[in-house]
Amino acid sequence: MNKKLSLKNAGTFLVFGGPSIFAFAAVVIIPFIVGLYLTFTNWDVRTGDSSLIGFTNYLEVFRDKVFLQQLWFTLKYVFFTVVIANVFAFFIALALTRGGRGEQWLRTGFFTPNLVGGIVLGYLWQTLFSQVLPYLGAKYGWELFQTSWLTNTGTAFWALIIATAWQLVGYLMIIYIAGFTGVPNDVLEAASIDGAGRTSVIRRIILPLTVPAIVICIFISLSRSFLTYDINLALTKGGPFNSTELATYHIVQKAFLSNQYGVGQAEAVVLFAVVAIIALTQSYLLKKLEVES
Amino acid sequence: MKLRKAASFAIALTVVTGLLAGCSKGNSTNSAVKEDKGNGGTQTEQASKDVKLTFFNTSAEVNTVFEELFKKYHEQNPQVTIELIPTPIGGAQLEKFQSLLASGNPATIVNLDAGTILQYKDDFLDLEPEKAKYEELTNPGAIDGALLDGQFLGIPWTAQGYGLLYNKRAVEEGIGGAFDPASVKTRDDLEAVFKKIEASGKAPVMLHGADWSLGAHYLGLTYSLQSQKVEDNRKFVEELKNGQVKLTENPQFTGLMDTFDLLKKYNARKSDPLVADYNRDSADFAKGAAAFYFMGDWSWAVIGTLEGRDADFGILPLPISNNPEDFGNAQVAYSEPKLFAIDDSKSTPEQQEAAKAFIEWMVSSEDGQKAIITDMGLSMPYKDLKAQSTNIMSNAVSEYVKQGNIINIGVINYLPQDYWAKTGAAMQKYLVGNIDRQGLAQEVQDYWKSYAGK
Repeated sequence: MNKKLSLKNAGTFLVFGGPSIFAFAAVVIIPFIVGLYLTFTNWDVRTGDSSLIGFTNYLEVFRDKVFLQQLWFTLKYVFFTVVIANVFAFFIALALTRGGRGEQWLRTGFFTPNLVGGIVLGYLWQTLFSQVLPYLGAKYGWELFQTSWLTNTGTAFWALIIATAWQLVGYLMIIYIAGFTGVPNDVLEAASIDGAGRTSVIRRIILPLTVPAIVICIFISLSRSFLTYDINLALTKGGPFNSTELATYHIVQKAFLSNQYGVGQAEAVVLFAVVAIIALTQSYLLKKLEVES
Repeated sequence: MKLRKAASFAIALTVVTGLLAGCSKGNSTNSAVKEDKGNGGTQTEQASKDVKLTFFNTSAEVNTVFEELFKKYHEQNPQVTIELIPTPIGGAQLEKFQSLLASGNPATIVNLDAGTILQYKDDFLDLEPEKAKYEELTNPGAIDGALLDGQFLGIPWTAQGYGLLYNKRAVEEGIGGAFDPASVKTRDDLEAVFKKIEASGKAPVMLHGADWSLGAHYLGLTYSLQSQKVEDNRKFVEELKNGQVKLTENPQFTGLMDTFDLLKKYNARKSDPLVADYNRDSADFAKGAAAFYFMGDWSWAVIGTLEGRDADFGILPLPISNNPEDFGNAQVAYSEPKLFAIDDSKSTPEQQEAAKAFIEWMVSSEDGQKAIITDMGLSMPYKDLKAQSTNIMSNAVSEYVKQGNIINIGVINYLPQDYWAKTGAAMQKYLVGNIDRQGLAQEVQDYWKSYAGK
């Protein structure tokens, strides 16, 4: 009887969970395992042969000075993108939950960039940075925009951050809005009766009560900005002179342009480890700040 | 409620059947291929059978022209169907080729860079039996130029040349009189022209700041200018890899870079040289905002259809010294960049035969030549062409080809795939003054040393 029941349960599980497990295994788990295996071989699509070579590829990763530089560059890029995107998303969400007119339209407007593909978005910003802004800069004599932001190592870095953050903000904003609606009204009312100002309401009530939303948002923005590739490709192509190559971009170049598949794949695994460690640590630490209302 | 249930069931059913259909389709083509391989002996019977070919195209800007051609060929030969595997312009082309190959599903015909074909040469059909026929069809030397390590693996179908393009009206307005291209034989001659043009208030030259232009076309000349023989140029690259060459002491390199300094000084994009917007640079040149342009005849694809462009263009060799006799001062760079090759890893003999017939039709029939020359605006290294080119620039290049005044840049086929990106970045640094000539030479030498023994 019991056996029959568990068999039935298993069947029900397979009906509902089976397709997604199959899809997840086919596009995530199996490629990941095969990819991990590839890092220990010297596989090359040109010759097709592959033999096990142990940790040679990983040693090569730590000898690849350019990759380590790029990884450091990526960390800086992620830090600023996450901070800027989250701060903006938080305050936009705050501004758009006050019940003003046209709120829905504005929310839609801020969310739209998220629906635009990274490549299209990259080209949009490229036109803006290398044509529109220099044109305006020349016309009105703005020193900052006289030359394209994409041709200077320093400004190209910020251009990349602005474009990524712009795309992320709308998505994060939706999560923050959901978080704010979870703040109980009676707490807010009690605070206003006690004479709390707007800033102290945000600081002492809204912020602590939306920690779950903040944890999710930081997690999402971290992983998404670590894995940025399309914007990088369309906006700067890693230029000027490879100074804005993010780690993912470098990995693709390494594998497909320089034909070092094993090393490229090993670099991807190292990147995965870095992202996993940082993302898990932050959610572990921030979770501790969660409070019950 | 009931309706909703029924609807969701219907959707689920469609998805599942769709999946199953997808799987079974894959199976049936696989088994068909196997079957065909089994009885490849009976040729006559095969000819009447339907053949399906796939065509992998890296000349992405002319995808539609190829598709038209496939349709036309299918009308004339109903048993042959050709399907295009397109690639994006300037994006992930090699990645796609590699993934097709790695998944055991390569295209029957590929249109690839000669260098790529060389790298994967074991996967392509040796066309030695066809060589004599194509030697008949093409200009003298065209097949020799397409040989890779002495093997005939790919059929050349297009030719490209590059150098200093000039806009006739802009130059003549700049120098205040008729311009005779033969009057520029040395770097000093060129500088004199530049000075006059600048004095007239025009920008003398457009220097495109993209890594492919600077790394492959400009700096790449260093390797091609060493000698007229590709073999010697390959030796030079080997010596670079072994660290036996000091670029700062190489006259070709220093000559090229001295000319580069000149272009840099008179560059129309001086204030922001790395913007590298290909369409805008080409359009500005075509409309006369700059008199010269370091680029090739392929830019006609942008310029030809441009509204308000000037009518007369020509090409000059890039002078690299003040001695008119030096190799390179009277020659323009010339190559057959793309080749048609046939897969030999998974394709069946009848697919290969059909592919050979189709390629021959493309390069020799009137329909094919019209499509390539008129619609794509490319020049073909073939004899007795049945179409007239409207590409003024490639016609100008052809004049140099006829006189034999060309730099054979075939050595680039033997260079590693990332050379243009890596050395192009060094050139960009040099262009904006981030490094000096010594630093540039060092970075380029270091790049080659990283390939020592490979």
